[in-house]
Amino acid sequence: MNTETIKIKKGLDIPLGGCAERYVVDARSIDRYAVKPTDVVGFVPRLLVAEGDSVSAGQPLLADKNDPRLTLPSPVDGVVEAIVRGEKRRLLEVVVKSGKRKVESEAAQAAPDTLSSSHLPLSTSAPVWWMLRERPFGTIANPDHQPKGIYVSLRDTNPLAPDLQYALRGREHDFEAGVAALQALAPVRLVRAEGPHPAGNIGTIVAALDPINKGECIWHVGAQDVATIGRWATTGEYRPERLVAVGGPAAKAPHYYRLTVGACLKRITDAQLMDSNYPHLGSAPAATRIISGSVLSGTRVEADGFLGMYDQQLTLVEEGDQYDFMGWLMPGLQKFSFSKTFLSGFARLLPTTHYPLPTQFNTNMHGSVRPFLFTGQFERVFPFDIYPLQLIKACIVGDVELQEKLGIYEVEPEDFALCEFIDPSKTDIQPIIREALEVLRKEAIA
Amino acid sequence: MNMKWLSDWFEKIEPKGKWAWLGSTYEAFHTFAFTPKTVTRSGAHIRDAVDMKRSIIIVVIALIPALLFGMWNIGYQTNLAAGTDWGFWHCFWFGLLRMLPMIVVSYVVGLFIEFAFAQVRHHEVNEGFLATGLLIPMIVPVTTPLWQLALAVAFAVIIGKEVFGGSGMNFLNPALVARAFLFFSYPTHMSGDKVWIANDLWGSDAIAGATPMGELAAGMHPTASALDMLLGTIPGSTCETSVIAIALGAILLLFTGIASWRIMLSVFLGGGLMGLLFNAIGYNEYMQLPFYYHFLMGGFAFGAVFMATDPVTAAQTNTGKWIYGLLIGAFAVLLRVCNPAYPEGMMLSILFMNCMAPLIDHCVVARNIKMRERRLAK
Repeated sequence: MNTETIKIKKGLDIPLGGCAERYVVDARSIDRYAVKPTDVVGFVPRLLVAEGDSVSAGQPLLADKNDPRLTLPSPVDGVVEAIVRGEKRRLLEVVVKSGKRKVESEAAQAAPDTLSSSHLPLSTSAPVWWMLRERPFGTIANPDHQPKGIYVSLRDTNPLAPDLQYALRGREHDFEAGVAALQALAPVRLVRAEGPHPAGNIGTIVAALDPINKGECIWHVGAQDVATIGRWATTGEYRPERLVAVGGPAAKAPHYYRLTVGACLKRITDAQLMDSNYPHLGSAPAATRIISGSVLSGTRVEADGFLGMYDQQLTLVEEGDQYDFMGWLMPGLQKFSFSKTFLSGFARLLPTTHYPLPTQFNTNMHGSVRPFLFTGQFERVFPFDIYPLQLIKACIVGDVELQEKLGIYEVEPEDFALCEFIDPSKTDIQPIIREALEVLRKEAIA
Repeated sequence: MNMKWLSDWFEKIEPKGKWAWLGSTYEAFHTFAFTPKTVTRSGAHIRDAVDMKRSIIIVVIALIPALLFGMWNIGYQTNLAAGTDWGFWHCFWFGLLRMLPMIVVSYVVGLFIEFAFAQVRHHEVNEGFLATGLLIPMIVPVTTPLWQLALAVAFAVIIGKEVFGGSGMNFLNPALVARAFLFFSYPTHMSGDKVWIANDLWGSDAIAGATPMGELAAGMHPTASALDMLLGTIPGSTCETSVIAIALGAILLLFTGIASWRIMLSVFLGGGLMGLLFNAIGYNEYMQLPFYYHFLMGGFAFGAVFMATDPVTAAQTNTGKWIYGLLIGAFAVLLRVCNPAYPEGMMLSILFMNCMAPLIDHCVVARNIKMRERRLAK
C-alpha cells in the first residue's frame, strides 16, 4: 500500500494530561448500544424498526428521509430497547440491547489467508456505507457523487487521540481488504501527517494535497473503520469495532478499550471517574465532563451515555465552574496559554523539560466574550491557505458568496477547533462554521 | 487565595428587576475581580487561559518602563533648564506629580464614557481603554492643560471609537485620534519649543527647550547626541523619549505575542530605507542625517512599538502587516524631512495608514480569492 506523508508546521499540541496507556481492556461484552442520528450531519432519520423488534448486526434501523438509500445499521444482534426522543420529538437515539453474543473463536477472528478476489461490492446497501463521509459538509457519502479521492488519515493528532498504528495492530489484513474495497469506488489515499495538531485532520491533509474546489468533493473514512469495511467485504460480517482511547486529566486510569461502535459508556465511566473530592478545591465536589471524541471538537455525553458514531476516543475533563480571583492578573504558573502571556509561557523556555509544570485544564472559558480585537493569532494554528478571521466574519454576517470565495468548502468546524481554543475573545467558532456550512448544504440539495 | 466571601457578595448584589439595566457596569466590576465561572458549551471543551483582560494588561505592563522613565525625565528636563541640582528621586517625584493628574483625568473621562456607552447599548465594557487611557497622557507634551486633555480623550473615545460600535470596530487608533485632536485644535500647545518642559511652579512662565526634530526643522543640527536620544534624556512628549525603555516594552510585547513582530520590524525597515534614500539625495541638513537618527528622535520608536501595532486599526493579514508597517515607517520619515510644518510625522503617518489598512487587506485577500478561482478554472 502506498502511504503518502505530509509535513505540517503550523499548529499546536495541547499538553493535556491523561494519555491512554498501551493496554487494552476488551469491553465488547457491554450489552447496550445506541445509534445516534444526531452524530451524522444532515441525516434526517426515519425509523425502520419499532421498540421490541429483534434486529441483527448490520440491519438498518434508520433511513435518511432525503435519501432513503442511506441507512444507519444496528451494531449488534439484539432487541430494540428504546427509541429516545428529545425536544419537538427529535429522534436522539435508538437503543439496542444486545442478545447473546456469539463467542468467536480465535480462528474466526484471524484474517483469511488470502484476500479473496470476489469482494462484496461496496455500495449503499452495505451496512458499512455510513462510515464513508463526504466533504464539503461532512455528511454520509452521497453515492451519486464522484469523489476526487477517498482519504484515510493514518495519524490522529487530536489531544489524547489513540495511536492508530497501535489500534490497527492485528487488523492489518482487514485494513488492506478495506482499502481494496474502497479502491473500487475512487482512488484511495492513505496519508500519514507529521507535525502538531491539526496535521492529522482530514481537512488539513486534503488542503495540503489537493484542496476541494466548489462543486468537487472528497470522501474520507476513519482508519479503524477501513478495517471494519475490509472485514465486511471479505466475510460479509458487520462488526464495527474500534480501539478507543479513554483518557483526560480527570480519568483515573487512562488506557484503551476495545469497543463496538455506539457502546454504552456506563461501565467505563464507573471505572474511570475520579472520586468527587479534589484536594485543591477543598471539599467542593467537582463534576467531570465526559466527552465522546476529542476535547477540541467532541460531543458531551452523560456518564451512562453512548460512544459517538464516529468517535475513537473518550475524554474526561474536570468542569471548571469556579471563579478565579483576579485570574487575568495572576502570574498563572499552572495556566496553559499559546500566547505566553502567563508565567507558564516563560517556564516553557526553561531547558530542563519540555513542560515542567503541572498544568490545570478544565472546562472554564477563562474569560468573557468580547469582539475580535487581536489578529494574526489564528494563522499560527491554521495550516490552510485561507484567511481564518475573514472567513469566520463572513460566516457571522452570512455572506454566502464571500464564504465561497474565501474557501468555506475546504473546511469543517473541527479545522477551526484550535482557533477556538486560543481565541482571546472567547468566541464559539465551530458552531459558526457549522451553521454556515448547513446553510450552504441545504441550498445545495434544494 | 480563598475569596469566597467576595464572590458570594458579588452574586448577592447582581442587579435584577428594576436594576437590571446596570448589568454592563456590574459585569465589568465582577469580571475585574473574578474570571467568570462560565464553562464551555460545545466545540473546544477546554480553552486557552488568555482573554482580553490579560492581553490588554500585558500592553499596560509593557508601557511601564517608558512611563517610569518619562516621569523621571520630566523632572530632569525642568532641573536642567532651571539649572538646579535635583537628585534622582526629586526628578522622579516632580514628574510623577505632573503625570498622575493627566493619567487620572484620562482614565476618569474615558472610562466614564466607555461605561455610559456600554450601559446604553447593553454591551460589556471593553478592556481596550485600559491601554488607550494610559497611552494618551504618554504622548502629549507635559504642559498640556488638563481640560484640553479631557476634551481630547472624550473626542477620541466618542468620535474615534464609540460611533463605530466600540472597541474592535474602530478604524483609527483612539490614542492617536486624541493627539491629532490636540495637535489641530491647540497647535500652540502642541508644538514649538515652549511646551516640552514642565514648569517648576504650577502655571508660571514657559521654559524654552527644543526637541531634536524642532531644531532640525529649523535647519540646525540637533544639539543632543545620539546616545542622549537613545537614553531619552531629551525634551519631548512625556514618555516617548527613551528608546531603551520602549525597547523593554517591545521585548515583552513580542515575547508574549501580543504585538505583531511583522509590523514592528517593518516600520523600522520602512523608516530606515526612507532615511537611506534621503541620505543618497543629501540636499539639506535633515536629509544628510544618519538614517538611525529617525528611530531615536520623536515618537518613531514609541509609535512603531505601541501605536502601529494596535491590532484593531492595523492591517489584519500577515502580508498586509508588512506593507502597512513599511509604509508607516517610510511616510513618517518623508513627512519629517519634507514637511517642516509638521515636525512629528509619525502620528500622521500611522493615522493615514490606519485609513489605508482595510484597503491593503482587501488587496491581500483578493489575491487569495484569485488563487482559488484559478485553481477552480484549472
